[in-house]
Amino acid sequence: MNNRHDLPLKDDAAARFVPAIIALMVYLGTLCFVFTLFLLHSTHSWESQLTTDLTIEIPVFQGIASAPLESRVLQVVTQTPGVQRALTVSQEEMIHMFRSLIGEDVNIDSFSLPIMIDVSFDRKEIVDIKGLETHLKSISPHIQVIDHRAWQSQVSNLIHTSVFLALMITFLILLAALATTWFATRTGLLIHRQIIEVLSLIGATNAYIAKQFQINTLKHGFIASSIGSFFAFVTFFGLSALFENENFSVLLHSSFFFSALSVFILAPFVTAFLMMVSARFAVMKALNL
Amino acid sequence: MSELIAQLVGVGHHYEEGPEIFKGVTLSIEKGTFHFLTGPSGSGKSSFLKILYLGLKPTWGNVKLFGKDTYKMPSHYLPLLRQKIGVVFQEFKLLDHLRVVDNVSLPLRVRGIETKRSLKHARELLDWVGLGDCLEAYPTTLSGGQKQRVAIARAVITRPQLLLADEPTGNVDDDMAMKLLYLFEELNKMGTAIIIATHNQRILEKFSYPQLFIKEGMINKEEPVLNLPKKKAVS
Repeated sequence: MNNRHDLPLKDDAAARFVPAIIALMVYLGTLCFVFTLFLLHSTHSWESQLTTDLTIEIPVFQGIASAPLESRVLQVVTQTPGVQRALTVSQEEMIHMFRSLIGEDVNIDSFSLPIMIDVSFDRKEIVDIKGLETHLKSISPHIQVIDHRAWQSQVSNLIHTSVFLALMITFLILLAALATTWFATRTGLLIHRQIIEVLSLIGATNAYIAKQFQINTLKHGFIASSIGSFFAFVTFFGLSALFENENFSVLLHSSFFFSALSVFILAPFVTAFLMMVSARFAVMKALNL
Repeated sequence: MSELIAQLVGVGHHYEEGPEIFKGVTLSIEKGTFHFLTGPSGSGKSSFLKILYLGLKPTWGNVKLFGKDTYKMPSHYLPLLRQKIGVVFQEFKLLDHLRVVDNVSLPLRVRGIETKRSLKHARELLDWVGLGDCLEAYPTTLSGGQKQRVAIARAVITRPQLLLADEPTGNVDDDMAMKLLYLFEELNKMGTAIIIATHNQRILEKFSYPQLFIKEGMINKEEPVLNLPKKKAVS
């Protein structure tokens, strides 16, 4: 392979700022992509922790025994098709939950805490919630049925929209980097058109001329992308440390951390390769006209 | 019948709104022939050479090179045909950012020959044309005559099947002009078809080769002016 440079591409004034632009784009692009991974990872983690689809609240009235009502409700719920599990939230958990909401210094004994039953569904089956609610209301009209799936679905949709937007932004940044390479290459072709003409007249094929641009783009693209990716990693690490202090330990969760790390490592290789392909297409398209 | 290197059929050309410089030229160049291209200034000598090295597409007519029809040939195929042609451009067309030795070795490199081997050939050839001490120099530091010799060395380094030279002796003294002509003769003896555009009457008289004379848009093949015995090449 002949790696000599027959075109003085490294002295191009027009391409002087391209590495800095590419470094900035790789910085933004990798951070955006890692943010996408973070969202996906967080969503997955959050969804796996969501075990309750429905909560049944049975108010407790003084002087009325609640245990028979609770067991009756549990019986009705567990016999409903599609219900996988129904568990009464323990008194300790209820107190803990209320304390976290109203504060430690409030005397919780003065409240009559309701009985809460967490219900999980078999995701493969459709549960007739309306029917269940009607049935429970017929047992006691004070029973409340709280369906969590609606807000869970809204949050999930919001996150997925954010993931889609983040991916789109990453894609647009990549597209902008490739367009920059394309236009810089076309400018290079114009600047060196006389040399290219001579090369062509002495028998240089279009592929030979394109190779000159490719090698130059690959080299500069890799260096610029590596710099951009390195600074993105530094930023990510700084944010991880910051979020770690704020108990956002998900950032340093091993599987996510290694996914992010692989993005920072692979970004310069992928970007440089795509830039090289962009440069080749720019040259071949221009010379084949 | 000897092998045809170039064949022009009804070739005509004019530059945009300009007058016709060729009016249906039909001509054949056979393998191993030697021609001088002559004619008054502005008659189209350089344009004719340009058409032959595919640097100019004729307005009409057809050019066949090495048996290939170039009329509808895709542009990416042209360099492959040009690899069989050596050209000495009137304005040299040297690459100023490359050393002399790199300029001369360039045609070998674009053909995929490894750098070390191509540089070795270039050094030998530059030595022969008297530029052995300018290998590392850049073209901008050379005189017109030196540049011309570099351009000639670059054109002949691949031992092309067709050599086109536009006023190759225009910037050199008579001794060097003769030496360069002997180099062209040597190449010709090895089978290269040669067309040299020149005004130099002394050369035309000294070397008795047929002339392609351009006049009023037509090219006439003329027999040698004088049938003097050919000089032997200086080894």
